[in-house]
Amino acid sequence: MPTVLDRSQLPALARGFSLLGSGGGGTTTMLELMLGRAAAWPISVEDPQDLDPSTPCLGAAFVGSTMLLGERLPGDAPFAPLIAAVERWLGQRIPAVCSLEGGGLNGLVPLAFAGERVVVDADCTGRAVPGLDQMSLFVDRVPGVVVACDTGAGGVMLVSTPRAIDAERIIRSAIIQAGGTGGAVFAGFTVGDLLEHAILGNLRRALSLGQAYAASAQMPLHQLAAALGGRLLGHGRITAVEPDARDPHVKCIELAGARGEVQRIVARSETLAFLTDGRLEASAPAVIAVLDAVSREVLEVTDLTFARPVAAIELPAPPWWAAEPTRLRKVVPSAYGLDELDPPA
Amino acid sequence: MSGPLRLRALLAHPANGRLRFVAGPDDAAWAGVVVGADESELANDDDGSLAILTAAAPSAPWQQDALLRRVRDRGYRGLALPHAEDFGSGARAIALRLGLTLLDAARPVELAKACWQLVEARDALTLDYVRRIARSFAFAADDLPGLLRHLAANLGHGLAVVDASGILHEAGGRLGDALRAGIATGTWIDVVRSGESAAASVRIDSPTRTGLRLVLFGDGLDDAQLQALAVAAEIAMPAVAARILIDDVAAVNDAAVSSGLLRDFLDLRGVPNAEVERRMLDRGWRTGGHHLGFRILGRSRLDTFQLLRLVSRETGVLGLAPAHATTSGRGVSGWITFADPPGPKDVEAAVSALRDLHTRVRRSFNVATGVGSVHIGSAGLSSTLGEASDAARIASDRSAMGWFVRVDSLGLDQLLLAWTGSDTFLPAAESLLAPLRTDRNDLLATLSAYLDHESSIAATAAALGLHRNTVAARVHRIEELLGIDMASPEARLALHLACRAVKK
Repeated sequence: MPTVLDRSQLPALARGFSLLGSGGGGTTTMLELMLGRAAAWPISVEDPQDLDPSTPCLGAAFVGSTMLLGERLPGDAPFAPLIAAVERWLGQRIPAVCSLEGGGLNGLVPLAFAGERVVVDADCTGRAVPGLDQMSLFVDRVPGVVVACDTGAGGVMLVSTPRAIDAERIIRSAIIQAGGTGGAVFAGFTVGDLLEHAILGNLRRALSLGQAYAASAQMPLHQLAAALGGRLLGHGRITAVEPDARDPHVKCIELAGARGEVQRIVARSETLAFLTDGRLEASAPAVIAVLDAVSREVLEVTDLTFARPVAAIELPAPPWWAAEPTRLRKVVPSAYGLDELDPPA
Repeated sequence: MSGPLRLRALLAHPANGRLRFVAGPDDAAWAGVVVGADESELANDDDGSLAILTAAAPSAPWQQDALLRRVRDRGYRGLALPHAEDFGSGARAIALRLGLTLLDAARPVELAKACWQLVEARDALTLDYVRRIARSFAFAADDLPGLLRHLAANLGHGLAVVDASGILHEAGGRLGDALRAGIATGTWIDVVRSGESAAASVRIDSPTRTGLRLVLFGDGLDDAQLQALAVAAEIAMPAVAARILIDDVAAVNDAAVSSGLLRDFLDLRGVPNAEVERRMLDRGWRTGGHHLGFRILGRSRLDTFQLLRLVSRETGVLGLAPAHATTSGRGVSGWITFADPPGPKDVEAAVSALRDLHTRVRRSFNVATGVGSVHIGSAGLSSTLGEASDAARIASDRSAMGWFVRVDSLGLDQLLLAWTGSDTFLPAAESLLAPLRTDRNDLLATLSAYLDHESSIAATAAALGLHRNTVAARVHRIEELLGIDMASPEARLALHLACRAVKK
């Protein structure tokens, strides 16, 4: 059964992806504006089960600094040269498109291809993650996956490697070369691969999260959390934002709870763990969405500033990650070198 | 809270591995102590012990939080480990919320030993103190304060020597007034508490001084520590008593030597002598610079050594350094040296301090004090001491001036007069003026007034209420009687002094 999206559902869908961003993934405003004036509405999103498993598929996403994306606006068809490169490499047109990162602005990227390609409701992460080697296709070592990316000034690079970390490092350097932000396109897999090696129905989940958020945003926090299908981890005023002594990418945000409890959010580019009085309450791959406790705005890690009242809500992790220990190892906090924060086995 | 191991006692222990309180309840007491390399070696079902970990604290804030949580969940009420002071405000707040006392121990094994002494091995604690006292004796002490400093440094607690009037010496801390007031004076051993502070004291059996007590004190001491300190005080007391005796003997000897040296110096009357200069330098007496001499003279018989001791102590209290003093004759002579030429303010301040010194000394001794004027160099030192000596002699019969006379304020005439008051001059003056001693002494009064008024007939007449001719006649007659030519300046000076001496 295809899901048909109406233009009026775009804001709810965007909020849903913001929540799944877990404090990262970039603000969806740019994509909302791009999609808002697209001619393809209403957009039909197919379930992968309904398509021929041998249908070639691609996934597209913005890589690098999402902040820079707001300063250097992408063009009309930012992925066109990349798709041309992978299609030339593979020697065939790719008719289907899925999402690579189902949290933050990249969740909306496949919709930009509506009209020219079939949009498939499958995603390679189910939440925001920082590394390309954390894409489910790489995590499960799906053979034949190639990646193309921008190298700046219209340049394109294509990487074909069986080792995921190589792709991550090479593309990361290319993106830095391109000025800190650019597009990336994954291809070389089929819709059939997605059935096993991707998170299915993530777009529908984002939509229902967004709709629940829109309906319950002004309700008491624990009711809002319940409406989102999650759990209120805690709320309070930010009393300290400290960088980690060992890793400058890691921040530790301290909240003073209403009853004096000491709560901490440990974050990199996404929120990774939440502790209350030294007890681990939630950690990646669970999504820890942070909201402004007053305005209920969905916040990113960079918005967590001193004295701001915030609330943290845990949304369940996509079960795909926990299905195998090898998958889990790639997304738990210890994947980033953070000790003592992994969820109990 | 109850329990044999109290935080306060542990903090007061001198060898506690540099224990510092970080966060949590600050009045903690624990049932016992458990030591482990890290958290995994701690028991899971403890009942309110202190956990000491030798591994350093984790650095990430969430790891610190989690460590506190887990240690508390295992039943511990205290945690001591290295680098606990690096814990942030959040972790400290959690420690307080959990009721877990967090302590920083730079040397956790030493802390474990301190705990063992306090909980199980009180004799070991006492023995440890005794050993520390014995160790103090290995270092030579210059005097009693030096010995007390050595003892305090080795014991890790404060020491004081007190008598009924107050604290005589103190080292390694300050003995609170409330605590000191509680110390019994007569008994052999006394243990006293006041608030958080406590003291153990023992009577000092000294042949030269009575009523002294040696006090060992500190904050947060528990009973075991206090008993151990009482034993320590008993062990240290004989050494302190001996030291007091040695200091007394040395001081008497020193006073005799310095007194002899000052006499030798003054006998030189400002003539340079290399040998005396060298001996003075050996004593730390600098002859260079600007000197202000003073002399404290007994108006009745007194023990000059006791006087010197009081003066030395008081000059220290009054901040009169660098001042030197020694016994000399019936009193004490001393001087203050200024490296740079002192301004009037400096001199006034020094004189004012000397006046305070005089006031204090007079509470114990019947003395008069004289102060010289500022002179420079070796000869100057001799001069100012001479002036001070003269001024002291004048002061000894000037009750109106509070038995305190300063040469500068005295004026030259007073000084001259002091000389003329001597046993040799007075009879000479009497015999010189004897021809004028008639029934009414008119001639003597006239001569006095005439000399006082610059040998002016008119002024003398006005002063005495006489006619000019009367005065002129009397002066003429005086010249005849004395056989002296009044036009001669020397003759006028001698007559003037004689008049003053006789009239006094």
